[in-house]
Amino acid sequence: MTDTTGFALEAAAVGKRFGRRRGSGGWALRDCGFRLPAGRVCAVVGPNGAGKSTLLALAAGLLVPTEGRVTVLGTDPASARARVGFVAQDKPLYPHLTVAETLRMGADLNPRRWDAPTAERIVADGDLGPKTRIRALSGGQRTRVALALALAKRPELLLLDEPMADLDPLARHELMGVLMAQAAQYGTTIVMSSHVVAELEGSCDHLLLIGGGRVRLAGEIDELLEAHVRVSGLAQTSLAPHTVVESRTTGRQLSALIRPAGPLPEGLRTSAPSLEELVLSYLRNPQAPGTTPAEAASESEKATL
Amino acid sequence: MTALDIKAPVTARGGGESAGLAAVLLRLHRPALVVWALLVALTSALLLWAHGPGADAAHAEWLRICDGGEPCTWGGAITDYYRARTLAEAVVAVLPLPVAAWAGAALIGRELESGTAHLAWTQGASPARWLTAKLALPAALLTTGSALLVVLHSLLAATAPFPYDWRWHSQNLPSDGALALVNPFLGLALGALAGLVLRRSLPALAVAVAVTEAVLATTGCLRNPHASSPSWPLRLVETGLVLAVAAAAAVIAFRLLRRRTV
Amino acid sequence: MSALRVPGLPRTVLRLHRPALIVWGAFVAALIGWLVWLNTVTSSAGERERAYCDHHETCNILDQLNYGQRTVWVATLVCYSSLAVAAWAGASLIGRELESGTAQLAWTQGVSPARWLAAKLAVPALLTTLGCTALVLAYRRAWSAHPGLRDGDWTSVTTFVARGPATVAYALCALALGALTALLLRRTLPALGVSLAATWALHFALERFREHLWPSVTRVTATEDVWPRHVWQLESGTIEHGHRVAHAGGSPCEGNPAQVKQCADKLDITGYYQVYHPRSHYWPLHLVESGIVLAVAALATVLAFRLLPRRTRAARKESLA
Repeated sequence: MTDTTGFALEAAAVGKRFGRRRGSGGWALRDCGFRLPAGRVCAVVGPNGAGKSTLLALAAGLLVPTEGRVTVLGTDPASARARVGFVAQDKPLYPHLTVAETLRMGADLNPRRWDAPTAERIVADGDLGPKTRIRALSGGQRTRVALALALAKRPELLLLDEPMADLDPLARHELMGVLMAQAAQYGTTIVMSSHVVAELEGSCDHLLLIGGGRVRLAGEIDELLEAHVRVSGLAQTSLAPHTVVESRTTGRQLSALIRPAGPLPEGLRTSAPSLEELVLSYLRNPQAPGTTPAEAASESEKATL
Repeated sequence: MTALDIKAPVTARGGGESAGLAAVLLRLHRPALVVWALLVALTSALLLWAHGPGADAAHAEWLRICDGGEPCTWGGAITDYYRARTLAEAVVAVLPLPVAAWAGAALIGRELESGTAHLAWTQGASPARWLTAKLALPAALLTTGSALLVVLHSLLAATAPFPYDWRWHSQNLPSDGALALVNPFLGLALGALAGLVLRRSLPALAVAVAVTEAVLATTGCLRNPHASSPSWPLRLVETGLVLAVAAAAAVIAFRLLRRRTV
Repeated sequence: MSALRVPGLPRTVLRLHRPALIVWGAFVAALIGWLVWLNTVTSSAGERERAYCDHHETCNILDQLNYGQRTVWVATLVCYSSLAVAAWAGASLIGRELESGTAQLAWTQGVSPARWLAAKLAVPALLTTLGCTALVLAYRRAWSAHPGLRDGDWTSVTTFVARGPATVAYALCALALGALTALLLRRTLPALGVSLAATWALHFALERFREHLWPSVTRVTATEDVWPRHVWQLESGTIEHGHRVAHAGGSPCEGNPAQVKQCADKLDITGYYQVYHPRSHYWPLHLVESGIVLAVAALATVLAFRLLPRRTRAARKESLA
């Protein structure tokens, strides 16, 4: 079912190369394509160096793709910048400004759409003194200020590069709640990269798995989970027509994660994988073929027949 | 609830955005602003003193010591006037270099190095507008200050308290007129370009200073160093060259930015 | 990390600051090359000009002026090279490491802060000493090569410094001041500005008080006399009523000897005096200045080491555990 409100973020054969002479030819991203419908909360997952930060920077209009095209909110990233919020991985802030001055800077730069109460509330919930200089704040406190800056801008698309990395579990939970409330109330599309998959499972409905500079998985989490099955059985069982993501043989037992392309052979025990298992299997097996939403939908249809 | 005192400005149109960006820049570069204001104030005071009390005292001393004649050994008040005038001229002459250093390091280089430029670009200031403001605001402040110093210096140069070939002395210095106004732009533009190209504050500082000095020395070579007063067409050509290099640097900077982000 | 143990520490410093090393080497080489050029090509042209001028009414003195002016430029660059050293020491050597936290990284990797700072200062100190010494020796040779073409005397501000070890002293002091300001401010760009300003202020102060660094010579004569050659003229005047009265512009009495005597009697002038430093005072003045600069350098170094965080006994125990 296609979403009628349009796509918040689209990539078509996007590639980005830095420099010319490095190992893999310097390609941080190669031939990436996906479509993210508006109003979704998307998790971007992948190993370090996979290209997640590059992808987010491309969407934010801070980089220009070497190949392909990125479409944000229906236009090119540069034009959409005013409606997009971005928090980089290192949460850059001006060290010699105070918290209050930093927020006032946000207000000055976004005069038409600054939501001061939201910014104030996020910062106040962290007990941050308005006269504290940024350089005196801890990592988690800086994250708070950076998030406040991005959220008070009332963006239609929010791009967050590992936003929860510096936060303690309590703060993580609280800020996640703020983000979800934002999404619910204003229909903001949220794209968030993270390492903590378990946390994402409860709040995200869309997944983008990036590995080795390519999109391995893209689609609604529910659909992806439906499209994959964990099987275990005797070691000699052939999994031939189905796509095998990961398989392990211990002694006479075979266990595998597969994408069924039809009815399963007899004698296999099946179970549904969790998101974490799914992600880990793909991450452990870079050579496994990925899937896009259309493929996932058609494969799951075939499997239920 | 802590009182953070953040008010969204009432103005809604583009003027509000530019005013907002200007306010942000002024707050961000407050130390440099203070240093510049102090420098202009002190140099202006020096020039005013030399023009008024300094010149009077030097003139009186000259009459007393040299009896109105020409060659004589200088005394206290004459030396003070000389020192004040040459110090002010030296400040104006040297100005493009610290401007280039600051532009390369603090204005542009540090922001690209630490990622705060990205913060600005994703907070509502497009890269082009950001760079425009980063160049326009310092340029305006530099022009105002330099113009004041040029005016005061020309007042000073109009009346000499004792005969001395000031033009021979200061013919290598741009204190009067267009050059004094234009040279700081060169430093600003070259510094910004160095910061954009190198993306690191200290290398940009070093390169900006070196290149600015090189350009100034090369265009200064146009002037015959031993002529008693350089002809004004030569000065015009020199001013034009400096402006051309500054403009070219600015254009290249914008192109580079556009190629990287848009 | 074996690279951070003792013999490797100087190597690490060199590796880390290789660009600066290259720039310094290029700077020294370029200046020495320029001096060689001036004293071969330019000076021979200048000498030819001078020979021509000796035998003709009007002549061009362009090459002579070029030689003189450019030699002074070299002296200026040599004398004020300490400013660049100060800026670099404050920003790149120490300040940047403190600001970004890489200094703390080294300190937790087995190098004590004191050893770290010692290596950071010793290696550049050695290299700047070598470079400055080379510059001073080259400049001395160049300066004495063509006295007829020279612009200015041993008293010129920058020539005074460039002809002796004060150049080295200023460079070492610049290192120390840079380190001190960086440890005080812990931020790159402010440290750069402040150390630059402090070193410039030191130069400025010593230039103004240079003449007082060694007792000057006073010469009293019955009649007015010309200055001895190659002296640093400080003050001259008449002795009236037993007191010295300075006359900056020459004597108050002019004219033929009879007029002068009449004027002198009227003003009750009993003698004339001159205060100056003869040429032989160059080394005493220079060495006193070097001593003062080195004392400032030593003080700055001691203060810098004082500002380092000390390893407490508890921390040392933890690191051994």
